[in-house]
Amino acid sequence: MQLVINIVVLAAIYALIACGYVLIYRVSRVLNLAHGELMMLGAYLLLTTATSFSRNAFVAITAAIVLSLVVGILVYVLLMRKMVGEMVLAAVLATVALGILLRGLMVLVWSAQQQYPGQALGLTNPALALPGGGRISTFAAAIVTATAAVYGGLFLFLQFGRWGVRMRAVGQNPLLAAQRGINLHAVYALAWGLSTLTGSVAGMLIALDSGLTDSMAVIGLKAFPAALVGGLDSLLGALAGALIVGAAEVLSIQYIDPLLSDVVPFLVLIAALVMRPWGLFGTREELDRV
Amino acid sequence: MSHQVLLRVDKLEVVYHRTITAVQGISLEAKAGQIVAILGTNGAGKSTTLRALSGFLGIDDARVTDGTVTLNGRRIENRPPDEITRLGIALVPERDKVFPNLTVAENLATPFAPSARRRGAGEDFVYHAFPQLADLRHGTAGLLSGGERQMLAIGSALLCRPQLLLVDELSLGLAPAVVDDLMERLVQIRRELGITMIVVEQNAAAALDVADYGYVLENGRCVLDGDSARLRAHGDIQEFYLGQAQGNERRSYRTVKQYRRSRRWYG
Amino acid sequence: MFRSTPRASGYFRTGYAQDLALIQTRSEAAALTAFTLTLAAYPFLATAFYLDLACQVFLAAIGALSLMLLTGYAGQVSLGHAGLLAAGAFTAGILFREFNAPFWVTLPAAATIGAGLGVIFGLPSLRLRGLYLAVSTLALYFVVAYLGGEYESTRGFSTGIMIDAPKIGGIGLKNPRAWYFVLLAAAALTFLLCANLLRSRTGRAWGAIRARETVAEALGISIAGYKLLAFVISSAMAAFAGALFAYYRGFVSVEAFSLFLSIQYVAMIIVGGMGSLLGALLGAVFVTLLPYAIEAALMKLPHAQSYAGSLFAIDYSAFGLVMIGFLVFEPLGLVGVWRRLQNYFLLWPFKYRPTTGAR
Repeated sequence: MQLVINIVVLAAIYALIACGYVLIYRVSRVLNLAHGELMMLGAYLLLTTATSFSRNAFVAITAAIVLSLVVGILVYVLLMRKMVGEMVLAAVLATVALGILLRGLMVLVWSAQQQYPGQALGLTNPALALPGGGRISTFAAAIVTATAAVYGGLFLFLQFGRWGVRMRAVGQNPLLAAQRGINLHAVYALAWGLSTLTGSVAGMLIALDSGLTDSMAVIGLKAFPAALVGGLDSLLGALAGALIVGAAEVLSIQYIDPLLSDVVPFLVLIAALVMRPWGLFGTREELDRV
Repeated sequence: MSHQVLLRVDKLEVVYHRTITAVQGISLEAKAGQIVAILGTNGAGKSTTLRALSGFLGIDDARVTDGTVTLNGRRIENRPPDEITRLGIALVPERDKVFPNLTVAENLATPFAPSARRRGAGEDFVYHAFPQLADLRHGTAGLLSGGERQMLAIGSALLCRPQLLLVDELSLGLAPAVVDDLMERLVQIRRELGITMIVVEQNAAAALDVADYGYVLENGRCVLDGDSARLRAHGDIQEFYLGQAQGNERRSYRTVKQYRRSRRWYG
Repeated sequence: MFRSTPRASGYFRTGYAQDLALIQTRSEAAALTAFTLTLAAYPFLATAFYLDLACQVFLAAIGALSLMLLTGYAGQVSLGHAGLLAAGAFTAGILFREFNAPFWVTLPAAATIGAGLGVIFGLPSLRLRGLYLAVSTLALYFVVAYLGGEYESTRGFSTGIMIDAPKIGGIGLKNPRAWYFVLLAAAALTFLLCANLLRSRTGRAWGAIRARETVAEALGISIAGYKLLAFVISSAMAAFAGALFAYYRGFVSVEAFSLFLSIQYVAMIIVGGMGSLLGALLGAVFVTLLPYAIEAALMKLPHAQSYAGSLFAIDYSAFGLVMIGFLVFEPLGLVGVWRRLQNYFLLWPFKYRPTTGAR
């Protein structure tokens, strides 16, 4: 039973991070390899707001979320907007470089030590007992709930919201969308903002659950196979992929070798690329859009 | 129908890849409420002119290098397409005219018009003008037939609340009956909404049936213009575009290749 | 590289050999002679620190040249280059540690392992392109890094494998000047190998594949064969560089071959300029020397000591910033800047080359 809980929690983490990859890819065909670092930045922002609003956890968390939305929009406006129209690969390399820059800046501003925003906020993380004999920490449960809420919200927005439909339209045919009066830069900025927001929520919750360490960027990168296995332009695929990768990782740690944990997501990725590169739910034509 | 000039193109020159001049000094005018036809064969520069009007040149590495395009007195050449749409010009493109993976209703939800103009025709008008679309509301746009897709494209363009509608090769790939039907609906839309239209067509007969005024392009130049009745009666147009032979007299090669030009258009 | 018109007047080519020659004008020959003399004299004028810098540049150059062949010329994106370097280094380390093998066994072995690994890295390229290919190489890098880490922990080398210097006739190679010339020779040979590859049928095939794959296939070029060949040659060279690196440092550890190293090599070819061997060299010089330049600049600022602790983070940020700068403002890299400079002087007082087919 504990195994199932572990899988669900890990899958929820990966899913919450993966939807950030999917949002940006679906709308602009860019793979945001700085997502892990942006996630970390969200957690560090929480640390800062936690020390400023140490008495009011709700305000601290909300402030950090709003800040991360702004960061995402700024990243688009200051950097990624200049890469629109260039080769997709150049844009991806720009995100890689951005990730490196952010990592260096974060160490400079906040130092490389392990941090505990939960302590700064005075929040504890007790383990909850679940029916069936398993245990889950409070914040791990929060992660699962947050993932469900975020996915529900995104799904409703993209399916039924006017700007959600417009975002999907821009993802399919930016030219036609521009003809229909949609300001492409606004839509891309919105995608980047939303993606950074969801990533930051993931980062914050992970930091509240188990502390802010260097390994958070690695978690961010490990979530990418989840997005790809499901199909880089499908939210549903990200959920499915997260479950697959999470299950593979937990099971291989349990039954094969604990050291495999960092490599298993990439083995799943390789298997997916060999068998079905466009993912379980992705659109097949994605493959040729280089 | 007023006679105020809505769009004026003055000695437009468009160059592709900095080497090929596709449009050499075209001047035309669209008065408010008119339907203007631009005729010509392939490579005449019709679509390029339309792209210059709708801001689409950048995609093909083309630029307006000379001349002006003014909408209500405001110059609009070399501006991005979404800005031009928000200024009031909507394009019904030749290819890629709908979002194939979205439903019809979603396609009609995507156009964005600035709130200042968001009065009058809404999605209801589109369903009223094209009743078939109302039945297909939840169908995927990619699975529509050619004629239905064209209707959806026109409807989407209308939802940008334009003052000027540009229609690029409406008749391509459609059966003649469908083309006639679509042209009639364009006239109906013009009657109900008062939108000015520029229709680029290879099918001169269909275009001249609905247009008020026409321009004939060849090799990037405007060789003839006039109101549609005059054009239809014009000997050269009849022979080369309408497929009607001119009487019984034999023509020498030299006379066939010369157009009798009427008065030149000056801006 | 193989210019349609020479960059000086008065040179008329009358045969294919002249078309393909590497040195085509007298000024190029003169420049090359001057450059060679500088390189030969350098170790006698430089301190040990600068000698070490030069050796690092030569090692980086071999890796950069191999990546330039793969990504810049054959058009196959690879983010896993550090994995191949690691493979070469670990091969040398393992063979030395387990079997006490001499360098004339380990170096070819490293290249062979590299070639084999290149086939594995190259297999995805038969189905995938661009972004997906880059991602597959990234995943394979993680697998290689994991294997290296596994070896280290299972064999007890948790801090890394120590390697003795290569011995020729019982005398170990420890003199910095000797290392300089060895690495210079290795880099020069690699450069010649790449240049010759590129002016052969293989190079032309790669150029065709990079430009338009379907057309290349229609012309009868075996896409799968040449793509795999690109990976194999590039990986063999990279592994060779990794093995040399292992011998030079005397030490192999998986942390030295991080993802950041892969990105550094990609940065080298971007900063240098894609599609140009000169670009690979310029990029290697730039990226290798950047952290040292930053450190030297920082030491000149007041309160220098307070920055010393965060030097690594500053290097990291500066690297990211520089890479972004080149991607946004100078996508053609240093070679692009160099060519613009050349054109300015060649074309003066005109500003632009005439375009063909203008009206």
